[in-house]
Amino acid sequence: MSLNPFFLQGSPNEQFLVQDLINEQLKIYGIEVNYLPRKIFKTDNIIREIQSSKFDDSFALEAYLNNYDGYAPDSDIMTKFGLRLKNEISLTISRERYEEYIVPFLEGISHGIEEGLIGEFNFADLIKRPKEGDLIYFPLGKRLFEIKRVESEKPFYQLGSSYVYELSCELFEYENELIDTSIEEIDTTVEDEGYITYMTLVGSGVTAVATAGISTNSIREISLNNDGSGYTSTPTVTFSAPNSGINTATAVAITTSRANVQSILRLELTNGGSGYTTAPTITITGGGGTGAAATCSVGGTQFSVSSISISNPGTQYPIAPTITIGSPGVGVTATAVAGITTDNKLDYIRILNPGIGYTQAPTVSIIGGSTSTLNIAANNSDAYGAAAGLTALNGVSIQPNGTGSGETGGFNIGQSYLGFVGTATSRHAILTPIDSSDFDTMSINAIVGNDSNGGEDPDATNEELRLHYLESGGSSFKSISINPAGDQILSASADVIIALGAGNGALQDFSINIPSHAKGSGFTYMLYQGANSNSEHDHYGITNIKYQSSTIGIGTYIFNEVITGESSGTTAVVKDFTNTSSLTSLSLSINTGKFSNGEVIVGSSSSARYTVLDYDTDSYENTYDSNEDIEFEADNIIDFSESNPFGSY
Amino acid sequence: MLGNYFYHEIIRKTIISFGTLFNNISIRHEKGDGSILDETKVGLSYGPMQKFLAKIQEQSELTRPIAITLPRMSFEMTTIQYDSTRKTGVTQTFKANDTTDNKTKKVFMPVPYNIGFELNIFTKLNDDALQIVEQILPFFQPSFNLTVDLVSSIGEKRDIPIVLDSIDFQDDYEGSFQTRRALIYTLRFTAKTYLFGSIADTSDGLIRKVQADVYADTNTKTAKREMRYTAVPNPITAEPGDDFGFTEEWTFLPDSKDYSPTRQEDI
Repeated sequence: MSLNPFFLQGSPNEQFLVQDLINEQLKIYGIEVNYLPRKIFKTDNIIREIQSSKFDDSFALEAYLNNYDGYAPDSDIMTKFGLRLKNEISLTISRERYEEYIVPFLEGISHGIEEGLIGEFNFADLIKRPKEGDLIYFPLGKRLFEIKRVESEKPFYQLGSSYVYELSCELFEYENELIDTSIEEIDTTVEDEGYITYMTLVGSGVTAVATAGISTNSIREISLNNDGSGYTSTPTVTFSAPNSGINTATAVAITTSRANVQSILRLELTNGGSGYTTAPTITITGGGGTGAAATCSVGGTQFSVSSISISNPGTQYPIAPTITIGSPGVGVTATAVAGITTDNKLDYIRILNPGIGYTQAPTVSIIGGSTSTLNIAANNSDAYGAAAGLTALNGVSIQPNGTGSGETGGFNIGQSYLGFVGTATSRHAILTPIDSSDFDTMSINAIVGNDSNGGEDPDATNEELRLHYLESGGSSFKSISINPAGDQILSASADVIIALGAGNGALQDFSINIPSHAKGSGFTYMLYQGANSNSEHDHYGITNIKYQSSTIGIGTYIFNEVITGESSGTTAVVKDFTNTSSLTSLSLSINTGKFSNGEVIVGSSSSARYTVLDYDTDSYENTYDSNEDIEFEADNIIDFSESNPFGSY
Repeated sequence: MLGNYFYHEIIRKTIISFGTLFNNISIRHEKGDGSILDETKVGLSYGPMQKFLAKIQEQSELTRPIAITLPRMSFEMTTIQYDSTRKTGVTQTFKANDTTDNKTKKVFMPVPYNIGFELNIFTKLNDDALQIVEQILPFFQPSFNLTVDLVSSIGEKRDIPIVLDSIDFQDDYEGSFQTRRALIYTLRFTAKTYLFGSIADTSDGLIRKVQADVYADTNTKTAKREMRYTAVPNPITAEPGDDFGFTEEWTFLPDSKDYSPTRQEDI
């Protein structure tokens, strides 16, 4: 032995004493900082760097501020890349405190720092000490520092051991790393930093309103016989004058490009005209192209939809809404297409197929935007159709406004209504099929007889009003409590819209949830009353039927939660959510791609669901980024009209 | 001697045109399983700026929590140099219609200048820089043409080739751990632009009448003219940008005279 054995160079007890004294001094003179270990998503082993990481743990720890020389006047410098801060600090933390307080936690969480696939780098041993690359949240000034270097031998082995770590730190260079420690003070330090995109959502918009007009001797259907070629702009479509009257049909051409040839895709009617006893000739002129030709047929004495006028263009339509026109009952249902303006209002509704067989002007439902509601006037026989071998209406008929007195005077509600008043054993009304995928509830506006309001009170078993459904291609109606396979998966009363004893004797809304197995494309619904005493008894009067979506446009997104676009699959992390009467918007970071207008955004924690009105990929908060300004100015001076014949960039 | 005020903002427009080439570049990061973690549009700005503006814009709160956000790109104009290889005749002019006042203007041929640009790319990761650079370089072989409306009043659009001259990068990964690694790529470009001088009104230039005398024989010394054709715009005050027609007239002239272009009369 080379040293004198009678003198100790620091016994364990002495070392413990020194460590305890240091710990105590740090707790007295130190500052409470937060240690944020880095978790790694991915490393590149060839160019040797950690490519993505996050910080979602935080450990409060006392630290002594050795010096703050890095807060000198030249700590903020002007660079080519804008302002760059270079504040530096040096902190001393207790070795024992780190090893006994932080290390056990790190050992418990996925080897401390691993999150994704770690290749060559093996960090497992590194959790025993503070690591370069980890962050320190420094509460004075609320700053995030990155550890650049860890010194463990200063002071140099007093009593044969070292007791502290000295951490050299510099302000963090931020590149959209997720900082989600659940401590609001820390997480919000980068709330407004980095690449943040901005999304306006469909909030409380106004639903557009449109009405249809019908006419005889109007255009029935247009056939595009030749789509022409060479169009550089939209050609003009003209119809020859009607045989009588002056209501000439009008239409617009929609052009399309196929293999670099601009041709006509279809003609859309803006007015079906009237007074055409013979088919008019259609002339397509202008637009720089040639060859397009179309013919049409006329509806004769039967009514077709000849015009659709917009009485209120509504607001907040991210994409053109779907237009559903009521069925004529017997005949062909008209179809139409809508367009929106740049400020998200309804621009036009044009007729694709005017339909035929209408007896009165059908309802025009505009589905999309802030309200997903399909509204059906119950007192219009067009709303009903036969299905699955059953007649459209059985024991049910459109009743005129009644006297409102006694049991049989009929309901006095100021309008005609769908009356459950007939003599059939069971009464039903079958609605025309719809795509109910996005609807969650059916709401009916109805009055229930109470023996003195013109109807008799439904008060015996099976006299309640229920909802049945027929899936697309199905052969028989089922209660919505039964799935398409025939299994009773909900309680037998889950299909009751108006229960026995319900109703206040006046018109009111009754609604029912449509379960997921009972909705989809081409589904048909039936209002069903299983029993009645006779035509003098057990009356319901219905004025309006609404299919509604109740899950879109509600909820509050939470800071740092992941949201997902239902169509695009894109995800992002919420930085901020604003929801006022005039604006609903999201600020997002860590986007995996682009969101598309019109898709529904779902919050992973909050389950909030909103529709995207507009998504802007330009950085929203970063004052350095001028991408949008440069692009805006360039659009005014750069000519993009000349394309490269060898392909586009 | 020079001081006839004009300013077409051509250098500014060239700066904007150059900048917009790079305003939509994104980078991606992946998770360990290969799925996309995030896609970031790379911030771009014109580098030089007022110092106080930079301070109040980027550090509105004096205790900014971080050093800088990355990745970033900046570009700046570094040189302006006359390009003698594209020189045209100094007295050559052309006429153009000014859409602002609908008058014919006389324009001297523009002067060719090369404007040097530097695009700097600052990233935290080498992989980020490689993603950005690789999305830029294939478009330059070695030039990329932009059609720029240099003088909008006369609709003067010119193709401006942007030539990639050189690529440098700096990767300070060596040294003590007290300094950070800095990854900066510098791409140098030359924009071959044109500078226009003052654009003046011109009184001449618009042909408002065409006149042709028709002879019975090709030998005009012996043959006498028979008819005269004239065409004038209708209305006669029509300007080049207007929608106008022509009034044509055939006159029978058995007067055995000839037209003198110099005296502008029949003699």
